[in-house]
Amino acid sequence: MMSLPKLALLTAASVALLTGSAFAQGKTFNIWHFEAADSSNGITFNKALEEFKSTHPDVTVNFQLKTFQQLQASGSMILNSDQAPDVLEYNKGNATAGLVASQGLLLPLDDYYKSQGWDKILNEGDLVLSKYDEKGIYGSGHIYGISVYGEYVSCFYNVDMFEKAGLKVPTTIDEWVADMEAFKKQGITPLALGAVDTSGQHLLASLAYTKADDTWIQNYQGLKAPLDGAPYLYAAQTLVDWVNKGYISKDSTGMKDPDAALLFTSGKAPMYVSGTWNLGSFSSTIKDFKWSQFVIPTPKYSVGSTGNLWVVPKGSKNPDLAAEWISLTLSPKYQTELANDGGIAIAADPATITNPVGKNAIAVFNQIADKNGLGFYPDWPVPGYYDVLNQKDTGLFQGTLTPEQFVEQIKKVYDDVQSSQ
Amino acid sequence: MAAAEGTYARHRRGYYLYLVPGTIGFLLIVLIPQIANFFLSFTAWKGVGTPRWIGLQNYQKLLTDDQFWGSMIHTLMFIVSMTIIPVAIGVVLASLLFDYIRDQFGERVANLFRAGFYLPQILPITTAGVLWGWILSPVGVANIVLKAIGLGALAQNWIGDATYALPAVSLMIVWIQVGYCLVVFMAGLSRIDPSLYEAAQLDGAGWWQRLFSITIPMLAPEIFVVILTTLIAALKLFAPVFVLTAAGPDNATMVPSYLTYYHFFTTQRVGYAAAIAVVQMILTVGLAVIFLRFQARQQATE
Repeated sequence: MMSLPKLALLTAASVALLTGSAFAQGKTFNIWHFEAADSSNGITFNKALEEFKSTHPDVTVNFQLKTFQQLQASGSMILNSDQAPDVLEYNKGNATAGLVASQGLLLPLDDYYKSQGWDKILNEGDLVLSKYDEKGIYGSGHIYGISVYGEYVSCFYNVDMFEKAGLKVPTTIDEWVADMEAFKKQGITPLALGAVDTSGQHLLASLAYTKADDTWIQNYQGLKAPLDGAPYLYAAQTLVDWVNKGYISKDSTGMKDPDAALLFTSGKAPMYVSGTWNLGSFSSTIKDFKWSQFVIPTPKYSVGSTGNLWVVPKGSKNPDLAAEWISLTLSPKYQTELANDGGIAIAADPATITNPVGKNAIAVFNQIADKNGLGFYPDWPVPGYYDVLNQKDTGLFQGTLTPEQFVEQIKKVYDDVQSSQ
Repeated sequence: MAAAEGTYARHRRGYYLYLVPGTIGFLLIVLIPQIANFFLSFTAWKGVGTPRWIGLQNYQKLLTDDQFWGSMIHTLMFIVSMTIIPVAIGVVLASLLFDYIRDQFGERVANLFRAGFYLPQILPITTAGVLWGWILSPVGVANIVLKAIGLGALAQNWIGDATYALPAVSLMIVWIQVGYCLVVFMAGLSRIDPSLYEAAQLDGAGWWQRLFSITIPMLAPEIFVVILTTLIAALKLFAPVFVLTAAGPDNATMVPSYLTYYHFFTTQRVGYAAAIAVVQMILTVGLAVIFLRFQARQQATE
């Protein structure tokens, strides 16, 4: 039997050993991101990491793969502790990056922006979501994060099925509906949808944005006024109509995004509305048919934004190395790499891109970005709105909520937060 | 005499040292967080920065929060699938395995069944949840089988339709819980004097009669323990809901623990989440106390 003092000594010794080993190394550099290894971002970041390691042989580089959910759920608490890494990918937006920036947990990057020459690579439009004011609202204030990629929601479609059915890529909502009707007549449910996950609310928002003007978007995303529910009402009515007509399966309320994506990648459903983060996996999994993407026809705004941010925690022990890392991922070499892996590089030279998927995606992104049409994501203005929209749109799809009830319920949550800010 | 008592007391004092590690653990992991949570429930806090004292506002809001009351009603239903059904199935299965299967097919077969029923308890819930997700998905195994045997009309959108989502999650929970009840009850059965059954059999009592007149009364202590532990587990139910439906569709499977998680981590209303947790804790402790009292009185009358 070990006596208590002996036990205490042993514990103390082992603790000392553990922490000692962490400090014994010359320099450790901790870096986190949440990009899956087979995604375009993941491939690019991992290659850049290899180069970073070889150019800094004196530094022990520790990389940890996190998940989006993990940082969405507990990111602020991690940043508030001494466990924070030196640089990490962090979710953009008021409720996440904005919140921690306003609490003083992030290092302002304005000096690096000039000294590292990022100002020559990025333009003001690329920086909208990098800046947060003292209340944590995006658009102005210090630069707290740098995005090296973009993303947007579009409709993926099966080119072979479209050609076989003699259909054209739609340029208006009416043409889109006509295409869906044609597939429906052949007994095919045209639109795969995972209402439990993001694709439900992204379709909803894409439809709402067809009725949105500059004021609506600015008010909505900036929490500037109580919610004007008209665009959402139109979107909800349209969706209920589509479910009733059989363009969307009622079963979508039991499906997650991977299930819905599988319907598309296995050639069962001709269309799937989702984000460009699917490009990498679609490129590698779809072998049997030709596929492409079209932007959902809206007058100006599309669901999309610049990507998630590299941020440097206030407690970073190596901010200079962190800035160097960000510069590396922004460099022409890795921007081209990203595009060739099928990603939306924010500053790649189109002439150097050889991958047609990446080339097309970047062209579409630039087309949206050039008309300032990034309408951002519908869940941004209100913390927890992501879950509210998922819960409520499943109610809409399964018919337990009318479009009017749907709008009333999401408006209540929005207005609560809007009035109490 | 006095001297002897003195050494005894001193001797006993030495044993208190052994309580130190456990007490420290209890303080750090249970008591201090509990007290902190209690104080947070009177504040508005975003998870970072300084909590702001708002008195009873969180509790006031709780009274009119439909999501919260909905989650409470769902908890009542989950008590059925966490406690009542598994205990009932557990008793019947345990005595079937114990005095029928074992007699007819031998110890090994009975053990094989017992291990099989217990397996869901060992499987990580996330793994089980993914498997059940594949079974219950609209394009999943359950519907494919139903269609293949000509019962396509019964195929449903199990986890995506508010009518079926709660029973579907309950089904997975029953599957998990039965093994636990079964193993405890089988252990209890080996304690019962076999001559009771022999006497009953000679008097002409059938299997069901023996179950109700001997097995269930004799198993009462085990049944009490299992009901108490599963009841507490039902009140804190989280993982099966989290992995299978994420509380959807439209909050149809929302439970208090999920609501706490949701407010704590996503809406950043940490104070409000703390208030829900406090209510949940009071209910759980209250129920446990009532139940233990009841059990003590029951045993005293025996």
